[in-house]
Amino acid sequence: MKAFEYATALSPATARELAGNDGAYLAGGNDLLAMMKEYLVEPKRLVNIKSLPGMDKIHSDSKTWTIGALVSVADLEDHPEIAKNLPGLQQAAAEVGSRQIRNVATVGGNLAQHSRCWYFRHRDVLCLKKGGEMCFARHGESKYHSLFTGNTCISPIPSNLSIAFGALGATVVVLRDGKELPMSIPQLYEKAWDDPTAHNSLQQGDLILRVELPAQERRSAYIQASEKSVFDWALVSCAAAARVDGNKLSEVKIFLGAVSNVPYQVQAANDFLEGKTADEATAAKAADLLLEKAHVQAHNGYKVPIVRALVRRTLAQLTA
Amino acid sequence: MPTWPEKNNYISSHHARIDGPLKVSGAAKYPSDVQPDGWLYGMVLRSKWAMAKLTKINLDPAMKIPGIKAVVLAPAVEERQKNGSDVTMRYYGEEIAGVAGTSKQACLDALKAIAIEATELPYVVREEDAKEPDAPRVWADTPNLSKPGERSNGDVDKAFGECAAVVEGFYTTPVQIHNPLETHGNTVSWTDEGVTCWASTQGITSVHDGLSQSLKLPASQVRVISEFMGGGFGAKFGPGVEGIIAAQLSKAAKAPVRIMLTRFDQALAVGNRPSSFQKIKLGAKEDGTLHAFDFDNYGTAGVGASGSSEGGGSGVALRAPYIYHVPNTRVKQAGVNVNAGSARAFRAPSCPPSSFGMESIMDDLAVKMGLDPVEFRIKNDTRTPGWEIRQKQYKLGAEKFGWKEKYKKPGSSPGVVKTGVGCAGSAWGGGGRGTRAEAEIHPDGSVEIRCGTQDLGTGTRTYIALIAADIFGLKPEQITVRIGDTRFPPSGGSGGSSTSPSVSPAILDTCRKALEALQQQTGVADARGDHWKAACKKLGVNPLLTQGEWQEGLSSSNTGGVQFAEVDVDTETGFVRVKKVLVVQDGGLILNRLTCESQLNGGVIMGMGYALYEERVMDKNSGVMLNPNFETYKLTGLGDVPEIEIILFDMPERGVIGIGEPSTIPTAAAIANAVANALGVRVNSLPMTPQRILAALGKDKLSVA
Amino acid sequence: MSESSSKDGFSVSRRAFLKTFGTSAAVAATAQVDAVAAELEKANQEKIVGPEAVPITLKVNGKTIKLQVEPRVTLLDALRNMTPLTGTKEVCDRATCGACSMLVDEKLVYSCSMLAIEAQGKKITTVEGLGEPGKLSKVQEAFVEQDALMCGYCTPGFVMSVTALLKQHPKPTEAQVRHACSGNLCRCGTYPRILEAALKAAGVAKISKTEVIAYADVA
Repeated sequence: MKAFEYATALSPATARELAGNDGAYLAGGNDLLAMMKEYLVEPKRLVNIKSLPGMDKIHSDSKTWTIGALVSVADLEDHPEIAKNLPGLQQAAAEVGSRQIRNVATVGGNLAQHSRCWYFRHRDVLCLKKGGEMCFARHGESKYHSLFTGNTCISPIPSNLSIAFGALGATVVVLRDGKELPMSIPQLYEKAWDDPTAHNSLQQGDLILRVELPAQERRSAYIQASEKSVFDWALVSCAAAARVDGNKLSEVKIFLGAVSNVPYQVQAANDFLEGKTADEATAAKAADLLLEKAHVQAHNGYKVPIVRALVRRTLAQLTA
Repeated sequence: MPTWPEKNNYISSHHARIDGPLKVSGAAKYPSDVQPDGWLYGMVLRSKWAMAKLTKINLDPAMKIPGIKAVVLAPAVEERQKNGSDVTMRYYGEEIAGVAGTSKQACLDALKAIAIEATELPYVVREEDAKEPDAPRVWADTPNLSKPGERSNGDVDKAFGECAAVVEGFYTTPVQIHNPLETHGNTVSWTDEGVTCWASTQGITSVHDGLSQSLKLPASQVRVISEFMGGGFGAKFGPGVEGIIAAQLSKAAKAPVRIMLTRFDQALAVGNRPSSFQKIKLGAKEDGTLHAFDFDNYGTAGVGASGSSEGGGSGVALRAPYIYHVPNTRVKQAGVNVNAGSARAFRAPSCPPSSFGMESIMDDLAVKMGLDPVEFRIKNDTRTPGWEIRQKQYKLGAEKFGWKEKYKKPGSSPGVVKTGVGCAGSAWGGGGRGTRAEAEIHPDGSVEIRCGTQDLGTGTRTYIALIAADIFGLKPEQITVRIGDTRFPPSGGSGGSSTSPSVSPAILDTCRKALEALQQQTGVADARGDHWKAACKKLGVNPLLTQGEWQEGLSSSNTGGVQFAEVDVDTETGFVRVKKVLVVQDGGLILNRLTCESQLNGGVIMGMGYALYEERVMDKNSGVMLNPNFETYKLTGLGDVPEIEIILFDMPERGVIGIGEPSTIPTAAAIANAVANALGVRVNSLPMTPQRILAALGKDKLSVA
Repeated sequence: MSESSSKDGFSVSRRAFLKTFGTSAAVAATAQVDAVAAELEKANQEKIVGPEAVPITLKVNGKTIKLQVEPRVTLLDALRNMTPLTGTKEVCDRATCGACSMLVDEKLVYSCSMLAIEAQGKKITTVEGLGEPGKLSKVQEAFVEQDALMCGYCTPGFVMSVTALLKQHPKPTEAQVRHACSGNLCRCGTYPRILEAALKAAGVAKISKTEVIAYADVA
């Protein structure tokens, strides 16, 4: 890790000023410090934002859930009201890292975390995502990589919460140039779809302030498949939310994680499910629609059946 | 010939380890914890090329970093420079230089500051690429693929013609990394009086000898201390390049230097288990007796024999046909060099891959012939030492496990999540060898036992206390055990499951001699137990020092063990959940049931990692190891540990035997057989990740229905 | 001194001034109202320090430790390399193994991934703070009795994880123990005994199935 200056910010505005053009925000630190230890990023200054007031609160009223960017993932996991009303979010939170990670990891940090691609994370591999010439995974070891991408980089998004928030129709409020900028989950990541060097649409100095969710009667669920049963990254994750009337689904949103550089959704799949009963055949058709544009690499074809299984199981959990 | 006492208070009991309180409270000082006055932090600079000629190495900028006290070249680099020969790096992670300074941060900056110019050379990092005739050569004058070693017995081709059934298979195992939690490393102090080295090692004696030779110091001027150490599994026998560098840095800086490798370094450069690519053909006669065996295997031990392999047992050759008797065999094995770190001995060297290949094809053949896999094993495990024990273990284990009820036709388990069972056996040599020890009995009744062995976490320190307590009629708490110092009477390295068969007889002998001497010197007929204090008081002012040594007849080798595994396999996500493992193990004379069982648990869990998670991944386009960490080199965690049931065969008549290694041998094979039983298809490569499970099921192709 | 305004009315140039000259008594003396003092305190906190070493104060196991560290020094490195508190282990240094687990303000964290400078003002507990030989904590006792350790290098981290779990769930289920300890790795394979120890410390029984059978008695 390269030496850096350090400051603690007490307001979002000073945080922004302190971060300048070559500083970075420090919240949970899990991702940032790991990248700094590998010299993948070398910020001149770290701005500790954990003391920003009021940003570690979860609030709900009849219309909206407001989740501060500094709320820890463990707080999401442990929150009884979230477990009851937004189970998909609670399940996604519970699957993040380990208890030690969740205790310090923040909602903002989870959404803004960078790719875990083993080429990107390797100190001595200059891959496309780091400004190099080629996507090594495409020509090498791709078992953890994407089925869908809008560019040459096939590193998938690692954020569990982004998938769950996507299904729940969340708005992420970002402070940019002194103004609050609301972004949908697709907007928060759209830049990563096209730009191999991008992990999300955030710019230097952007600060995630909070996530807002419409209070909903929709049910939600999140399931991930991994190589190990706990403390492992998802090979595929699936989050879904829908209004469930008897067995009938409406207002459905399905997002897939770990299969694309963005939280992946296909509107046609959501549309197809409108008014349908969540049975095997419906789930299979929805999975077909989701997989329509899948492009399999040398080692990741096995993710396809996992997508199918998770789509079916997630929908089944919604209607259970 | 001496024998073990028959009635004991402590030997063979369930006894908590005596150093437990130190370990659970952080009070135990490991080599990575010692902080001798003025100690410096040290780190190693490594090659970032898989193959390169270093044309210029400028250490000066590193010396200018504030806090840096010494910078040295790695010994091999220095020697090549001195000789005027090319300095060629042959794998990503090979040592170039070392730095020592007042902080880790200074060292990190110094590593960055060292200026190196290099000419990159063609490299090859994957076995299947390296064995091609036109592949870049790791060593210019040697083909990557060695001339295979061949041996045969009988007329194999004719014998296959006589078989009622023949199966062929291709089974592969990955390079496995030891990953002891305390990385390799030492804290070394080199002064005018000589070298003191706190080593995280399995062999204080071998570190001592290695340092003495490498540093050209008289043996008397080297002292190695390893009171506690954080795991080795075969990879920690010598001082290592990092130990020599630490010593040189200490000499240059005139201060103690600690170099503990980073996790990253550890994955690259200090050992691994070789891979295997086993093509096997096996045939049996109508009655189910094996008749013909053809085996063609290659694997990599890294850059090859000229690399930094140490400790022995690191070759690619497997034991084939392992524990089974086949009258007609042909075995062909070759090593293939790649540009990657060298192999070292790894817990039961060569056995887990041998077991995976052989036990897999045994099941494949049993299935083809419609035979019960347990019966098939009992029929053919008839010669390899331990076979009589294993036969009984299979019978008893099958009964306890419920094999007859649980074993179903492969693939017949209904539903998406399929259940399967499998079994496998192990044979291991082990055995004891020369060890000396001494007992110092003080007039106040206190006792110190000293032995130059080390405790890898197996419980060495504890059983020494138990033996002494039984012989002296005392409590284990009354015994002070001192180990892990080359100033104590010598023992060997802790490898080959030889520590307890080596150390325990020496302790027994020492204690018996000490008791005899005490009784003789004090005239007390029986100084044990209640008489102890009074007898010791009669010693007067001087303590009584007695030495003893290893004796024939108190330990033995050749253990047998079998394991049964039950798994659930999710045929849609490829996830394998191991539900249960039953271990039936020959324990000989069990010194301490508690620590013995812990080791068996440990063997199973490491074997499970080999079965399901662990694999070194090399990248052909960059030459680097992609997973030199715990994020993508995955170890078994508590969340995945199954129920482990242990049945120990108590065989005190055999004396003490080591069980650290045998317990890890059959686990992966038993799990693999259970997976094959569940699926009805063989997953022929370890680790059995979701990717490989789904590939075996033919589901890894894109098929949009 | 020009005052460029920002949202909270705090000035960039004043902060720069404060960085340059520190919060000298002279500055404080000229301050006339509490508001200014509050702003100063805030400025002090928002002061830019480093990259060179700066003095920090840590509260570890009830004791105050003063160190001089660069901002980039982790809490783990600060304690292991600059104090005698080496009970906490460094194993991966990448938030994957749990050997460096500590309690910071009663929360279980990976100390390899927290800067020492940001741990100031917090209550830090390491394994040494839970108990010592002769005065072990309940969890530590249970680890010894159940043999939930072999080489012992992962042990301090597991002891911290189980301790944190039992604070949150005094009577955990087996599944809760497995989940709570998933952030810790052991290479010797002590897990079954860790599970037993955690449950035992919580007063919940769980004993592995093991038996010793005399060879002579086996058919």
